[in-house]
Amino acid sequence: MIDKELIQVIDPSGDVVDEPALEKISQEDMIRMYRFMVLTKLWNNKALSLQRQGRLGTLASVRGQEAANVGMGMALGPNDWFCPAFREYGAMLIRGATLKDLFLHWSGDERGARPPEGSRMLPVCITVGSHLTHAAGIAWGAKIRGERIAVMSSSGDGSTSQGDFYEALNFAGVFKLPVVFVIQNNHWAISIPVEKQTASETLAEKACAVGIDGVRADGNDVIAVYLTVKRLLDQARSDFKPALVELVTYRLGDHTTADDASRYRKEEEVQSWLKKDPIDRMRNFLTKRQGWTEEKEAQLTAECNEEVEQAVKDFEATPNRQPTAIFDHMYAEMPWHLKEQKEEMLRLLGSQVR
Amino acid sequence: MARLSMVESINTTLHELMAKDDRIVVMGEDVGVDGGVFRATVGLIEKFGEERVIDTPLAESAIIGTAIGMAIYGMRPVAEIQFEGFMFKAFDHVYSHASRMRNRSQGLYGVPLVIRAPYGAGVRALEHHSDAPEALYAHVPGLKVVIPSTPADAKGLLTASIEDPDTVIFLEPKRLYRLFKEEVPEGDYRVPLGKARIVREGQDLTIVTYGGMVAVCEKAAQHAANEGVDVEIVDLRTVWPFDVDAVVQSVTKTGRLVIVHEAPRSVSISSEIAATVAEKCLLSLLAPIKRVTGYDVIPPLSRLEEYNYPDTERVVRAIHDSMQF
Amino acid sequence: MRYVFRLPDVGEGITQAEIVEYLVKVGDTVKEDQPVVRVETDKAVVELPAPTTGTVVEIPYKPGDSVNVGDPLLIIETEKEEAALAAPSAQPAAARPAPEPIPLRPMPSEAPPVAAAPSARVLATPHTRRLARELKVDIDTVKGTGPHGRVLDDDVRKAAAEVAPPPPRAPTAAAVQAPATAGFDFEKYGPTKRIPLKGVRKRIAEVMVRSVSTIPHVTHFDRADVTDLLTVVEEQRALAQSRGIKLTIASFVAKATATALKEFPILNSSLDEETGELVLKEYIHIGMATDTEAGLMVPVIRDVDRKSILQIASELQDLSRKARDRSIDLEDLRGGSFTITNVGAIGGSWATPIIFHPQVAILCTMRAEPVPVVRDNQVVIRTIMPITLSFDHRVLDGADAGRFSNYVAALLSDPMRMLLDMT
Repeated sequence: MIDKELIQVIDPSGDVVDEPALEKISQEDMIRMYRFMVLTKLWNNKALSLQRQGRLGTLASVRGQEAANVGMGMALGPNDWFCPAFREYGAMLIRGATLKDLFLHWSGDERGARPPEGSRMLPVCITVGSHLTHAAGIAWGAKIRGERIAVMSSSGDGSTSQGDFYEALNFAGVFKLPVVFVIQNNHWAISIPVEKQTASETLAEKACAVGIDGVRADGNDVIAVYLTVKRLLDQARSDFKPALVELVTYRLGDHTTADDASRYRKEEEVQSWLKKDPIDRMRNFLTKRQGWTEEKEAQLTAECNEEVEQAVKDFEATPNRQPTAIFDHMYAEMPWHLKEQKEEMLRLLGSQVR
Repeated sequence: MARLSMVESINTTLHELMAKDDRIVVMGEDVGVDGGVFRATVGLIEKFGEERVIDTPLAESAIIGTAIGMAIYGMRPVAEIQFEGFMFKAFDHVYSHASRMRNRSQGLYGVPLVIRAPYGAGVRALEHHSDAPEALYAHVPGLKVVIPSTPADAKGLLTASIEDPDTVIFLEPKRLYRLFKEEVPEGDYRVPLGKARIVREGQDLTIVTYGGMVAVCEKAAQHAANEGVDVEIVDLRTVWPFDVDAVVQSVTKTGRLVIVHEAPRSVSISSEIAATVAEKCLLSLLAPIKRVTGYDVIPPLSRLEEYNYPDTERVVRAIHDSMQF
Repeated sequence: MRYVFRLPDVGEGITQAEIVEYLVKVGDTVKEDQPVVRVETDKAVVELPAPTTGTVVEIPYKPGDSVNVGDPLLIIETEKEEAALAAPSAQPAAARPAPEPIPLRPMPSEAPPVAAAPSARVLATPHTRRLARELKVDIDTVKGTGPHGRVLDDDVRKAAAEVAPPPPRAPTAAAVQAPATAGFDFEKYGPTKRIPLKGVRKRIAEVMVRSVSTIPHVTHFDRADVTDLLTVVEEQRALAQSRGIKLTIASFVAKATATALKEFPILNSSLDEETGELVLKEYIHIGMATDTEAGLMVPVIRDVDRKSILQIASELQDLSRKARDRSIDLEDLRGGSFTITNVGAIGGSWATPIIFHPQVAILCTMRAEPVPVVRDNQVVIRTIMPITLSFDHRVLDGADAGRFSNYVAALLSDPMRMLLDMT
């Protein structure tokens, strides 16, 4: 079933458009989501700043997509699996990644990419769209082994042009795999607008070709994202019903710190989306409906800032790995040629390195 | 012990292993109801059901992509690519993910995946059905490449490959599938990865080879023996990482080396062996290293196939060149 | 403390940027992460935030200026302690502490053995060559009976049976020894302080141990009368200075040594301890030992025999500066075929330098001083510079060293002769 209607619970001004939906979520969870959104934004902004100071490497900004990130992350069940692309910091934090891990990874240290033990999360996937097949495979394994869980992948609008996108959805449809493919349609794949990515009216309707459900939700409405993805994950878990969900959002920043979006898109477009900022929207809603106050806001911001600053300290105090660490995870057991090469490096570097 | 052909041995092995380990699934195009185009998976679907013996849609990238997901989850997928020439659609998954997931996750997730594919020339097939791409996979850091040369080895190596915690590219010389039968050990039987087999011992010259070329080299060695030249044959079995000790020991003993494979010569497994010998036992060499390989050409269709494929005569000539140097 | 904010690589592989505008001025207070400068790279215009809170004390550029990655953009006086600050670096990786320093390693000479002309080399397989070495047969003297005159194993065996074995190969002492001070209780007789041997110092220690434990050293003493040479140096100093070069006696010493090395090539060699072959180098690259804060470094001047004295002086000046400020390229520390060390500036009468393994000799010049000497049966005051030469007794004998040393002294004593002999 394809539903092209945009699912929305809260409108951009923070007013509720779907009252019954609110009953499905506790106030505690709403505040938790808001906190993760703020934390994600502050981490992101700090990371951009560190990059511009030469303290981090290339970084993909998630600014503008905090609701999509956090809504999907919150929707996962504890035993579900998550297969991210590389613009999902919010969801990864919810899955147990630490702010320090994220800094570490984007500073060029593989240890930061290691998902926490038992997190059931894959490391980031840079090759666009390929991890959708991995998500289908994990769901398949779980189905064969009789574990009732769901798997969620996340990727961008660009990924829907890849062959692997179609192949993964097709396999999920044929074998009825408990997997939900989340597309964060942020409207831009580096410099290519979504209109040039596909002639489809929506991305959700691409599910039609493989016979699975396709739905669209307002990706800047964290409650809509959460409730939609959660419903689809529940269906996947209980009925082996795979689905494609398009979250309509917007990348407010450059593609990465090595990009300059002003070369290919108009400032007016960015400004129009700033008015739909997911964090402002949630704060307005909480203020109007959940007794959120300026004091609470100030306290939350201070706490999150402190967490981020502490993470910067922890990350920058983390010693580099020994250079020979590059050999350690190539195989479960190190073959002779790598042992030789590791020895060679040791000889070159001298006895100070292990 | 039963006398089996290589394809029967592979089939029997899959039957036995699947019965013992329910994490193993076999997946690929036409592997279920049809039993595989070479019948390597025949009878499996009847015994283990379509959930574990999976006829997939025609999509190599998704076969390997989903198999990687299964392996990460804890399954032991054995994915068949119908012919080696179709593996390239899945190359991204092999190169970018199967070989890298362990490092990317810093040891958290391995990819215990076996990719089986019929391999090499010799069956008068269409284009993309006679290639020998092992060096492409050997070149990828993090992969293992295995090519059996006998029915018994096929069993032992396939067992070890499925039990291996890392991704193994298992290439089955299709000309050997039904070429000959031999006694294959019954029950639990494994040949450790990375261990070569000394096919015959000799004092005068070493041939390093593998897969479909082993039988060719054995004939050549017999011919040389009639002329008084005592040839040692090393069958690598695991093409990468290969058994360096076996190669170095043999070459140190004989001082002469001929490397034989059907794959194109340049930047190949033979290049790597020659380089390794130059690094480790150059001072033992009595003659330059010789290579007898496929040429650096597109594998010709059947009418000219035999000219590209190393045969006994070419190997014997190389032995002569080396001995007469 | 002062925090120097350097231009980072803000894109992937940016090396340069142009200042668009500074958003702060000298004297302004800035907060951490506050945008302070806008720069334009060939990829984008980007705003750079301050890495720390403090007061801007210096802005070295103005809009329109071009800045290289790593150059200081802004200097901030901050109250934070150094430890609390991120490393002011253009490279993210360097912003974090390294596990342990990897020392800058002045490697011993790694010059490839000089191959004889191909036509001069006999044909033989590696195996046959090894056999010849094992049987102590000079393979180049063996007549080959194989195809194209190749020397076969049998040829070597026959030659071994005929020829008396040459003198045994020079012994090679074990380079690695158990530390003699292991377990020694230094504290027993009073308090001590421990400074780990690191970096250059550690490397020096290794090289020196290797040298003295492998090479039987002998040191030869000599004196050069540099009275006339110093006059020349004084006279030409102004000319050199006009070209921005500081002329010292060191460059004359280097030139004289190069001239002598051409005359006595055996001092410009290495002993291949593995094969027992003497490797004569057809190039003259002289290492000039330089005292630096980190310890001894030996920058190498290449092809000294083919350079003018002013060229040598100029390179020496440049390399010494780089060695002192640690900006020297590793390559400039490698490949020396002979070493000169000079203790003149520091004083002392004599020293016995240690050879820079795997070279075979080292020349040390001491302080030149006016001393009474006898000339034509008259006591006169001349300026005398003691020179000492340590040499590898496996390769050289005292007579070789003496002749070499005499020749160097003669050249230094007579600038005119030096002019005539040098190439």
